[in-house]
Formats: sequence, structure tokens, C-alpha cells
Amino acid sequence: MKRTDVLGLSVPLVALILWQAMALLKHSPLFPGPFEVALAIGSHFREIAGQLGYTLMRAAIGFAIAVASMVPLGIFLGRFHKIGRLLEPVIDMLATLPPPAVVPLVMLFTGTGDAAKIVVIAYAAAVPLLMNTYEASYSVHPMMNRVARSLQLGKFETMLHVDLPASLPMIATGARLALASSLLVSITSEMLLSTNGIGVFLQRSQEYFSIDAGLAGIAFISLTGLIINALMFKLEKRWLYWHYREAA
Amino acid sequence: MKSLLRTFVSVAILLGVWQLVYIVGIVPEKYFPSVLSLLAAFWQMLMSGELAKGELMTFSRAALGLSAASLLGVTLAILADLYPVFGRGFRYISDVLQPIPPAAVVPMAVFSLGLGIKLYAFVIILVTVWPAYMNGVAALSSVSPVQLAAGRSLGCSRLELLRHIKLPAAMPEIFTGIRYAATIALIAVIVSEMLAGRDGLGFMIFKKAFANRTPEVFALMFVVAINGVALNALVNGLRWLVTGWHIRMMERTE
Repeated sequence: MKRTDVLGLSVPLVALILWQAMALLKHSPLFPGPFEVALAIGSHFREIAGQLGYTLMRAAIGFAIAVASMVPLGIFLGRFHKIGRLLEPVIDMLATLPPPAVVPLVMLFTGTGDAAKIVVIAYAAAVPLLMNTYEASYSVHPMMNRVARSLQLGKFETMLHVDLPASLPMIATGARLALASSLLVSITSEMLLSTNGIGVFLQRSQEYFSIDAGLAGIAFISLTGLIINALMFKLEKRWLYWHYREAA
Repeated sequence: MKSLLRTFVSVAILLGVWQLVYIVGIVPEKYFPSVLSLLAAFWQMLMSGELAKGELMTFSRAALGLSAASLLGVTLAILADLYPVFGRGFRYISDVLQPIPPAAVVPMAVFSLGLGIKLYAFVIILVTVWPAYMNGVAALSSVSPVQLAAGRSLGCSRLELLRHIKLPAAMPEIFTGIRYAATIALIAVIVSEMLAGRDGLGFMIFKKAFANRTPEVFALMFVVAINGVALNALVNGLRWLVTGWHIRMMERTE
């Protein structure tokens, strides 16, 4: 650790002290301080971890569906650019439609069970994946196209052996965004269509006026987000080392 | 002009496919209204005035929240640039706060902030400051050393350096962040309205969905999507005003 790293710790520390002071002043169970939240983490640990499991599982399934469908579609639209250009405005419009706005609609089709949530998650993850894949696949360096042609690769082979690998770095960026939003939407969809999961845990905490437990839940969400982000970064560095080597 | 035509064609195709699905009848009509009944629902909501009211609520909340969050983000980024210790320390906080979804904050904040403007402001700002802040910090610290040296040899003080060199150089990247934040702001508004709202488009969508009024739900979703486009256009216009020199420069080199 460097000196600024250590000195920097004072900023969150001051924030925590301020928070605690405000909580002491308010002196209300509806405004717990960091100390109460830490206690709540201890007493609700099991329940939170269990509920978080459901949330993560649905997020993972939705994300996987989005990757499996949107990466091929993006590559295809990039290669057959005429079709891609025609769909561009539709994609742009979908990109601005917030995933939670889709929830009520999906609810009409699939009820409020796992399927509904997974559909919404997949939709949320699909948008950044499709946009990034499409963008990358259509801006593949022209030289690569010529190489593919002189190797007499067919359209399908070109997509598989040229477009896909060349697009991977941008797909990875899209995947990172998509993963973050699948976790986010997974929680949101649980709060809107409650059955189980960490979102429901948060709702219950509100209904029982135990805000400290709710904040404990939020702390777990934030920790999960941090871990996932760090993991993605590591994997990206390992699998796409050739890209980083070139960029450096 | 050409892109306008393209948009027109693709919207026409979208509506055509929509109507085709309706005619073929794969999906029950109850869930998949025809384009006509969709338009009728839109018209009816427009005439009754509820659409305009909800739209005004949602859009003003998103736009105001986004502006406040962007200003705060840039201010924090400047502070982080002036005081490295603060910058490093604030990164601990931003790392922890960034992954928190807006939906999770709403129920916890309701008791302290009520159901009014304070709640919306808190939720929107909490989730939308990060892109402007992150991009701001990155851009301010990566200004070309040559430009800084030029400024210094002209006798600029630290603040003048920031005002005349670093900030203008960082603006394009900051706006990229704000554009991303615009999407998040709209999501945050809609979610807050769904969970704790008494008005606005998010509240309306939920109410209509529970009343099984599918055409209205679809129509409202289109309106929400158009809101996203409008918010984007607003940010783009501002970006042109503030960093027009940069955009023109980029176009010339292409």
C-alpha cells in the first residue's frame, strides 16, 4: 500500500463517523448508523446469503441466455451490414427503454415466476451485448476481410474465425456492462414481482421497519458487485492478453 | 436526412412485423394488441391529459436529477484532481456505492426522505453521479503533459491550469459519461415511480398492467423509450454547445 492509499482511508472513515453521528442525533430505528448495520449483518448473515443465492442464479441464467443469443446475432448483423443498418434505429430505441419498464409487460405473458424474471434479465443484458458486438463486428479492419477472402473462407467461416475473435475485446466490455445490469435487474425484478431473492428480503425489511437489516442486505449486494467486477477484470486480462499486449 | 429516412423505414418495418404477429395470432390478442388499438390507447391517454402529466413528471425528474448528478460528479472529480488523497479516499466510497441498484435504495430511504421530491433526488443522484465522476477523474488526470507544460510556461497558476486547460480537455470524456448516465437516470426515475410513486410514467405503467390494459402498457412503453431518445438528444445538444470545438476537430481529421 502506498501512502495515499492509507491517507485516503480517512475519507470513508470520516463519512462513517458522520453517518454514525447523524444516526445518534436522529435516534430512530428508521435511521440506523453503521454500527447497527454491522450488528444486523451478523444476525442476518445466513438469510441474506441464502436469498442472494436465488438472485445470483437467475442473474446468471439470464446473462447466459443473452450471451448465447446476442453475440451470434451481433456478429451476423455486422457481417450483413445492410440488415444491421435497417435494425439500428430499433436497437437504439430498445437501448433507451429501461428494463424495469418491461417488467409489467413480461408479467402479462409469463406471470411472476422465475421465467418472467429471467426474461427481463436477459433483455437487460442483451442490449449492451448486442450493441457492442454489432459495433465491433462491423468495424473489423478491412485488411482482415481481404485476408478472409484470399483464404477463400465462406461467410459463416469468416464470421466464426475472423469476426468473432476480432470482436472479443469489445464483446468483453459489453459483457461487463451486461453482467452489472443483470445483477441490478435481477434485484429490481424481485422487488416488483416478489417471490424470493435478496430483493424480496429488502422489501420484507421495509415492511417490518427493520431498516438496519435492509442496509445489511444492500451491503451484501455491493460486495457481490465488487467481487463480480474484479473477477471479470481478471478473466478479461487472462483470456484477452493478446489484445492488451498489442495495446500496450 | 438519410438517417431520418432510415429511422422511418425501420419503424415502419417494426410496426409491420408487429401487425403481422397480431394477424397470424401466435400470441393471444389480450396480450398483443394490434397497432391500431395501440394508437387508440395512446390517443385516448393523450386526450385525457394523464399522459402529458405523467410525461412531464417523469421527464423533469430525470432531467433535473441528471443535471444535479452531473454537476456534483464533475465537482467531485475536480476536488479529486486537486487533492489526490481525497481522490483516493473517495474511490473506496465509490467502489462500494456503485454496484447498488436504485430499486434497493428506495424502500430503505422512504422512511427518512418521504415519498416526495427528496426521495427522487436522493435515488437519482446516488446512482447517476458515477459515470460523470469516473470519466472526469480519468480525463483530468490524463491531460497531455505538453499542454500542461505550455500552460505553466505561460504562467498559469494551478487553478488557471484547471480552468483553462484541464477542464476543457476533459469535457468530451465527461460528456461521454453523462450520456451513459442519462440512461441510468431514466431507469432510476421509472423504478422509483414504480416502487414508491404516486404519479409519473413508471407508476402509470404498473397501474395499467395490474388493470390488464395491455394496449396502454405498450403505448406507455413506447413513450418511455421516446423519453430516452429525448434525454439523449438534450445531452447531445449540450455536448455540442460545450465541446463543439472538439467534435468539429474530430470530424475534420476523419
